[in-house]
Amino acid sequence: MGLVQRAIEAEGIPTVGISILKEVTQKVRPPRTLFLRYPFGHPLGEALNVKQQRTILLEALKALETITEPGTIVEPGYPWRRHRFE
Amino acid sequence: MVVQAFKHVPWLASRWAKSHQFVEGRDIPWTPLSKPVAESVIALVTTAGVHLKSQEPFDMDDPDGDPSFREIPSDARKEDLTITHKYYDHSAADRDINVVLPLDRMREFVAGGRIRGVAPVVYGFMGHIHGRHLARLLAESAPEVARRLKSDGADAVVLTPA
Repeated sequence: MGLVQRAIEAEGIPTVGISILKEVTQKVRPPRTLFLRYPFGHPLGEALNVKQQRTILLEALKALETITEPGTIVEPGYPWRRHRFE
Repeated sequence: MVVQAFKHVPWLASRWAKSHQFVEGRDIPWTPLSKPVAESVIALVTTAGVHLKSQEPFDMDDPDGDPSFREIPSDARKEDLTITHKYYDHSAADRDINVVLPLDRMREFVAGGRIRGVAPVVYGFMGHIHGRHLARLLAESAPEVARRLKSDGADAVVLTPA
């Protein structure tokens, strides 16, 4: 995914990627990343958990505005299934 | 099934990553935001294998994956979407596509004024791409999607993995 992200950014569109694999993100080095220690298949969290999905997507959009250093990985640190989203 | 274990145990994902080779990036491309997010049209790109039921599924027989992409209208109905991707357990996304492609959340953000709009097309990849197909992804599919996003009027892009 990071490779596609890099291609889009190189074309002149700012990008942010959600990642659940920090090791891969650190190698591929996309410009902006929101990292969550979530399992495969759950980058936005759990099915039907609207508050969780909304919070994570908002964090990604916020990262678009706040990251100023290329390659930055933002980690909100929400634990899997042990965080109550408001 | 191994893919089902991956769904429940977060640290298995990083163990999987350590056992695979990835293309390493050197210089990092960078485009500054041209306007605040609230005034931006945001596009979604996903590598979770999402596509329209009416479209050709991704190739699951080729061990190197499928470097092609699908154009999904961003106003598509959930009933018209499906996932072809055998390398992760997408049962949660089958129940609620928003866990890999948050179209409903994006529409809510437009209604709530958090973003100006959702770009008309979502670009769907199947993220399991290796070997000879990586070259095609890098030389053809990814730059082509980048150009299309530009002509779609996307001010910024959010990418979601499997």
